[in-house]
Amino acid sequence: MIKRSLGIKRLGAIGAMGLALVLTACGGGGGGSSNGGSTASTASTGSTTSTTPALTNFTTLTIDGGPTALTTNPNGYIDDNVAFVSVTICAPGSTTNCQTIDHVQVDTGSTGLRILASVITPSLLSALPTETDASSNPVGECFGYVDGYTFGSVRQADFQVGGESVANLPFQAIGDTGVFSTVPSTCSSGGGTNESTVLGLGANGIIGLGVMATDCDSLCTVAGGYGAAIYYDCPSTGCASIITRAASTTAPFQQLPNPVAAMAVDNNGTIISLPASPTAGEATMTGTIYFGIGTQTNNGLGSATVLTTTTSASPNGAGLITVDFNNAVLNESFLDSGSNLYVFADSSIPQCTQTNYTAYYCPTSPVTLSTTLVGANGTSVAASIVINNAYNFFDNNNTVVPGIGGPPTTFPSSNVYPQSFDLGLPFFYGRNVYTAIENKTAGSATGPYFAY
Amino acid sequence: MKYKRNQPTTARRPQTFSTCARLCSGGLAALAWLGVASPSFASLGGVASSIEVDRAHLAARSSTVVNAAYTVHIMTLPNGGTVKEFERSDGVVFGIAWRGPSRPDLRQLLGSRFAVMQADVVVHSGRRLRAPLIDERADFVLHSAGHSGAFVGSAYLPQMAPASFSVSDLQ
Repeated sequence: MIKRSLGIKRLGAIGAMGLALVLTACGGGGGGSSNGGSTASTASTGSTTSTTPALTNFTTLTIDGGPTALTTNPNGYIDDNVAFVSVTICAPGSTTNCQTIDHVQVDTGSTGLRILASVITPSLLSALPTETDASSNPVGECFGYVDGYTFGSVRQADFQVGGESVANLPFQAIGDTGVFSTVPSTCSSGGGTNESTVLGLGANGIIGLGVMATDCDSLCTVAGGYGAAIYYDCPSTGCASIITRAASTTAPFQQLPNPVAAMAVDNNGTIISLPASPTAGEATMTGTIYFGIGTQTNNGLGSATVLTTTTSASPNGAGLITVDFNNAVLNESFLDSGSNLYVFADSSIPQCTQTNYTAYYCPTSPVTLSTTLVGANGTSVAASIVINNAYNFFDNNNTVVPGIGGPPTTFPSSNVYPQSFDLGLPFFYGRNVYTAIENKTAGSATGPYFAY
Repeated sequence: MKYKRNQPTTARRPQTFSTCARLCSGGLAALAWLGVASPSFASLGGVASSIEVDRAHLAARSSTVVNAAYTVHIMTLPNGGTVKEFERSDGVVFGIAWRGPSRPDLRQLLGSRFAVMQADVVVHSGRRLRAPLIDERADFVLHSAGHSGAFVGSAYLPQMAPASFSVSDLQ
């Protein structure tokens, strides 16, 4: 359990408003218009006369090169613009058979906890029960990411992050052995990398804290259905048949829930709070992730602009907003802490020509883009985005690399995805980005939304 | 006007294009995924009849839009996603586009190009780019983008596309 006062300082002003919200706005009332002008105390200990328990609804975010097993591997690499947390998993009911997993990537672009089976100690892994299906067989899961997929068992563990916990939380044990050692063809047929190792994943695990309450919602509740997630019946002959799994955020779980949605409290969303990056970047960064929105004195919505997103009922998927950019309306855009760069098309910005860098933009000097983010609710907010020369900015040991962008295509004459602007982790630097879960009231608004 | 093979031949298909957007046909989807697993007739670069093979494999409903130089077959998947196949007037399938909560079965839709894509995009050295997959060859171009639950992508064969075709139509 990691408890730092750092986070309280970063959200001081909002914290003051948050107190007002707790007292007056539990019914979803007026929200951020309360007076936030006072500069809240940044005292790091609330040790005066208060009898209020210390807040524990947060934990530290770290941006660094990634797990030791990645950075020290001869074939490894250094992560850039990836925000990590540590989580603790225990055998259900145990307080001793536990392990803290470091370098779990925080991803607002997906849903559900996934940890490499290979980083879990064998004695703990063997004590984590595997979900079983209607045939009493183990349950397997495939999950798709933009650059590949993960496959493994669905196991349950008592889960802790910061001061929050969930008993018997289902998670995917990526790359689990036995009947899970063969990836079904229906999983790999989406293409990309099988992210079953530290090198493949670039992390020890990934915690999806997006707008969805479960990782497949209603798509996996009908026979043969699937979304980003596919659930499998896994008899001794291996995983093949696709099965239905209920979308529940409370026990008994079936699908992987959004771990925050499954918490007893502070379960309506998160705030990712990162400091601004120095212009040239920096070696590492620490910030804070808060659990809950408007549920405690440190997580008020304040005056953040709420941009509601598409829902799980959208044929294009949940979590999309519109970005107006270069006179185009990009209505499949999204905020994604799991993308380590901005991805957008702008043929006026030169791409890098150096080997291994052609997927990035390399303007000769920083370019400032004018964008307007528009929610499904019609609310809009202007955002100025600086794009730097990726080749020059990567040419050091920094893992915080601001202003990195790339095109969705390296085909110079095309504009294949004019509909999308991916606002990756560099967008989060210097902001408090709220992610509210679908159908949850969060502050004065209801998810799914992003706000900042 | 050109070919119209816009309706499936299986019995349990939905009868209208506008209903049943997401939740029905699940059983059909499972059947297609698990039972018809031999993508010997992949569409991209294939002949016109491969389109119906793909449609059945995806348990999709289909309609067509006919342009001057090519026909677009629009398939609606049980999970609400769409797959479009672009067919030249002589029946050659030269392009595919997809959008939806999951990536479609690209092994089926890309055929021999699936292995080409995998060889080109699966990289484990150097900095990892958590970003769209891009494969751009003279004879094969692929982009696979989006994020979990909201994927979008396309692939086409530049040397086989009609002269009037614009890649901006691949959506």
